[in-house]
Amino acid sequence: MTEPSLREPTFLILTALAAGAQHGYGIMTDVSQISGGQVRLRAGTLYAVLNRLAVERLIELDREEIVDGRLRRYYRLTPQGGHRLEAEVDRMRRHTAVAARRLGLLGGTP
Amino acid sequence: MDDHFRLSDADRDRAAALLRDHFEAGRLTAEELNERLTVTLRATTFGDLRCVLADLPEPAPVPQQPSGLRSRAALERCYRRLLVFYPAQYRRVHEAEMLAVLMTAAPSGKRWPGIAEAADLILGALRVRLQPSRADPAEPAWRDALAVLSVILPVIVLLIYTVQEAQALRTFPAPGAFSDGFPLWALQGLTVPLAMVALALLRLQRAATLAAVGLLIWLVYVTGWPGWSLLYGTADAYILLALGLQIVAVAASPGPRRGLQILTWKHGALVVIATLIATLAFSITTYAVTLIVIAVICAALALASSLGRWLLLLLAIPAWPFFVPPLFITPWEIYLPSGLGFIGQAYLPPAALLVVFGIAARRESVRLSQFPPASR
Repeated sequence: MTEPSLREPTFLILTALAAGAQHGYGIMTDVSQISGGQVRLRAGTLYAVLNRLAVERLIELDREEIVDGRLRRYYRLTPQGGHRLEAEVDRMRRHTAVAARRLGLLGGTP
Repeated sequence: MDDHFRLSDADRDRAAALLRDHFEAGRLTAEELNERLTVTLRATTFGDLRCVLADLPEPAPVPQQPSGLRSRAALERCYRRLLVFYPAQYRRVHEAEMLAVLMTAAPSGKRWPGIAEAADLILGALRVRLQPSRADPAEPAWRDALAVLSVILPVIVLLIYTVQEAQALRTFPAPGAFSDGFPLWALQGLTVPLAMVALALLRLQRAATLAAVGLLIWLVYVTGWPGWSLLYGTADAYILLALGLQIVAVAASPGPRRGLQILTWKHGALVVIATLIATLAFSITTYAVTLIVIAVICAALALASSLGRWLLLLLAIPAWPFFVPPLFITPWEIYLPSGLGFIGQAYLPPAALLVVFGIAARRESVRLSQFPPASR
């Protein structure tokens, strides 16, 4: 069964978590950094995506901390989530390779 | 300030801010800061705070801080108000965490959430409401059947009404079509099940059930007690039964969301086609042909799956009154007052079917609790 491709916020959130567990605000800043400042997640979008990813068992709770009197909940990828991201990377790589070939971007290099 | 005076939230916030300043100045380690913050947040009197701040020098007075703190508190209240749009269960788990993210992301001096930010939170709440609450574990088939029923019953009722209205228009073309007034109660009959599905999808199951129960009582009240005055037609009996069954389905099942997960587009198309065929056969051909058509549809449903058999049993409940007048003249109708006879015919067999369903569902639940199925 082929899965539908991931939307950009979902892809970026999974990518942010691929390096290790992060809390909500950490994910927000990381996503902005990964995308070169182009994608700025807001809290509503972030938590809607996190909720769906948790329901699909792609992420899970890592740990909780109280910092400055505020709750921080850390999330991490599940093995399933890792596979899903890997599959998406493969898919994107295939597509970009074809696109680059057709544009002659790869043909020129020896 | 006397040590025994009690603290306000603003006092605690101010003390926490002081501690953070000392941490930034290097007088406290991260660990010490955390310990002292915990004490600060639990402190009730100025005396409690004195221990936390005892070994730290008085800071230079910062005149703007109180107003800054006040605007932070105001901003937090605004965010808290926006989070009300999330389902209560979700809020219990995530509210503190989301507030932390929102407040950390807010630049200092910000007093109000921006419009885009507020819209994003409300939209996020809607998305969370529409997402399944968890990857549902295996449910007993009867609960799945009720969940599926809560979706398809309004669709079936809507289709039957549409076909009947269309044929009424064809037989008595406008303007005479609605000479005895537009059947307003019929419209209410179908908007409410649809509204129930919509409300239940938004996790407002209790509101949906209450509204429908209210309507059911009102319907019975305005049309007269079933079988007594106006309710001498099958349509009245089956709309009451359908609405009652819909209430049971929304209240006692995992909800339409689960039903939509089980149903595919192919199932949806089959439901529409089967309903149309049965309704058209009912109003165009003879009863014998109709019975054959319906028997074929029922056989297909029964052979399809155990879920299909449960659905068949449930759908028979509101469908029953359709078959009453032409098929049987029961003995009791001759001896009883006319209204009572109709009540017996229209409502007793469905009640019996519901009891059969209840017993079968109970037995299946008991069996499942003894031999839980392997997870899907």
